[in-house]
Amino acid sequence: MTAARAPRFRLEPYVQFAKKAMAREATYRFDVFTTVASVLVRVYLLRMVWVALYARNTAPKELPLHAIITYSTVALLMGLVMDIDQTRLLHDKLHSGGIATDFMKPIVVPFYLFADGSGEVIFHAALIVPSLLLALLFVHIDVPGPLTLVTFFASFALGYLVGLFVNFILNCVAFWTLEIHAMQLIVTWITDLFGGEIIPLVIFPAFLQKIAFALPFAAMFSTPLLIYVGAIPPERYAWALGVQAFWVVVLALASTVIWRAGAKRVIVQGG
Amino acid sequence: MAIIEAVGLRKVFRSIERQPGLRGAVAALFSRTFVEKVAVDGVSFSLDPGELVGYIGPNGAGKSTTIKMLTGILVPTAGQLRVAGIVPYQNRMANATNIGVVFGQRSQLYWDLPLRESFELLRSIYDVPRARYLENMKHFAEILDLERFLGTPVRQLSLGERMRGDFAAAMLHDPKIVFLDEPTIGLDVIAKEAIREFIAAVNKERGTTVILTTHDLADVERLSRRIVLIDEGVVIYDGSLERLREEYGTHRTLVVTLAESYPDVAVAGAEVEGRDHNTVRLRFNRRELTAEALIRRVTERYQIVDVQIVEPAIDDIVRRIYLEGYHEGVVGAPS
Repeated sequence: MTAARAPRFRLEPYVQFAKKAMAREATYRFDVFTTVASVLVRVYLLRMVWVALYARNTAPKELPLHAIITYSTVALLMGLVMDIDQTRLLHDKLHSGGIATDFMKPIVVPFYLFADGSGEVIFHAALIVPSLLLALLFVHIDVPGPLTLVTFFASFALGYLVGLFVNFILNCVAFWTLEIHAMQLIVTWITDLFGGEIIPLVIFPAFLQKIAFALPFAAMFSTPLLIYVGAIPPERYAWALGVQAFWVVVLALASTVIWRAGAKRVIVQGG
Repeated sequence: MAIIEAVGLRKVFRSIERQPGLRGAVAALFSRTFVEKVAVDGVSFSLDPGELVGYIGPNGAGKSTTIKMLTGILVPTAGQLRVAGIVPYQNRMANATNIGVVFGQRSQLYWDLPLRESFELLRSIYDVPRARYLENMKHFAEILDLERFLGTPVRQLSLGERMRGDFAAAMLHDPKIVFLDEPTIGLDVIAKEAIREFIAAVNKERGTTVILTTHDLADVERLSRRIVLIDEGVVIYDGSLERLREEYGTHRTLVVTLAESYPDVAVAGAEVEGRDHNTVRLRFNRRELTAEALIRRVTERYQIVDVQIVEPAIDDIVRRIYLEGYHEGVVGAPS
C-alpha cells in the first residue's frame, strides 16, 4: 500500500490563482473605466454636499470642512478595494454546485478563494493612483505627516482584513441557505451606516456612537480614516490598531469555525 | 492488487421532510422532521489497475454518490473504501493527486481564461514537471486536435471543444484513475467518437484505470468489457457485457425483404414486430429457434429477396433490466 500522505504545501498554485484573477479582471476594461469615473463623480458630489451642509451648520471641532472633504475622498478611494467582495466566488460556486470540482483538486479550497480574490483586489488597488490624481482636479485633500501616513496604511490593512472576514462569513452562510442576497443587503446597510464610509462616526449622536464603536464595522473604514484626518491622535494609535487587530482575530476564528462546519456539511450531506 | 476496493459501501442522506404548500413551508421553519434516504446500499466492487469499467444505472440509482465517495468529497455512512491504497475522505488531498475527473455537465476549466492558461494553472496545482507537461500537452493537442483553440477563452468554446479541453485537463497530471461522469452528453457523433477514441487510447497506452458513468450505452459498448449495473443503491450486475447479452438478449430480429407484397405475413415461432411495405421484422427467441430454421420456415411460404439478423441493442437489454430487475440465468420471457 502506498503511504497516505498529503502532498507538501506549495505556495505556487495560489500565486498562479491570484495572477489569473488579475488577468481576468483586466479583460473587463470597460469596467475599469467606469469604476474610476464613478469615483470621480462621487468625490465631486460629496464635496458639494459637505460644503453646503457646513455652510448652514457649525462645524464639529474634530472635523473642519477641509478635514471632512479629505475624509470623504480618502474613503471613496479606500472603497475601490474595500467594496470588493473577495470571496463572492464561494457563494457562486455553492450556488452552482461547482464547489465539488474544487474539492476534487489537491488544493486548500479557502486559500484558493482568498488567492483568487487577492488578484482582483490587487488589480483594483492599482486603480487608486489614477483615481487619486484625477480626484485632485476637483478637491484638495490634506496630506498628513509620515508617522500618521504609515499608521494609516497599517490601519487600512487591518480594516481590509476585517471586511474580508465579514464577507467570507456571509458567503459561508450559503453552505446552508444557498441564497444570501437579502442578508448581504442588510449587512451592506449596516456597514454603510456603522462603518464610517459615508458619514464619520464622530458626528453621530452619543448613543449611536456607542453602538457603532462596539461593532466590528467601525474597524473597517472609520479607524483608518480618523487616523488619517488626525481625529485619532498619535498617543491613541496603539489602542486603535489593537482594537482592529482584536476584530481581525475574532472574525478569523469565526471564519475558520463556520468554514469547517460548512465544508463538513458538503462532505457529509453532499451539498 | 486491486486499485479500487469498495466493500459494503453505504451512504444515507438525511433531509428535511416538508409538508406541501405554504403552510408546510412555514411549519418547516419551526419544527423539522428528518427523512433518511439510502442513496448507496452496500455496494461492493473491486477494480484492477488498467481496467475500464462502465458504471451504469438509471437516474437516482446512486452512481454520482458512489463517484463522490471515490473522489473523497463525500464520507460514506458505512463500509470500506480504498482508492490506490488511500482512504479518500481521510486524505482528500493525497487522493486528489491520484485521480482525474471529467464531468460532462460541469467544466473544471477556468471560464474567462484562454484554454492554454487553464492548463498552465493545472500544471501548477498538480506540480507536473515542466518536461512532462510539455510532452503531455503535445500528445493531447495531437489526438484531441486542441491546437486550433488553445488561445480561445473557454466561455467561447463549443461544447465539443470544451469537452476535449476538459479531457486534456483531467489527464495532464497522469492520474492513476479517471472518473468520467457522462462525458459524451450532448455531443454530436463526431465529437463523441473523438472522445471515445481518446478514452480508449489513454486506457490502453497509459494503463489508466477508468470508471465511466454514462447513459449512452454506445460508450460502454465501444469501450468497456466489464460493466457494473447499479439500481436503487444496489449492484445488480457485475460482469462482462457479453454475458449480459447472452442472458438477456434472448430475442433477435430477422428482417426479411419479400419479393412481392403478401397481404398477411405469419410465421410459426416468430412474432411480427413491424412491417414497412415489403420489409417485415420478425422477432424470435434464439433458444427456441435457430435463425437458420426460421429462414427456412419463411422461404417455405414466401418469396424473399434479402434477410438480415439484428442482435438486440444493449439499450433494450438494459432498459429491460431497469424495469424488471436482474435475474441470474433468466430465460427471456417476451417483454
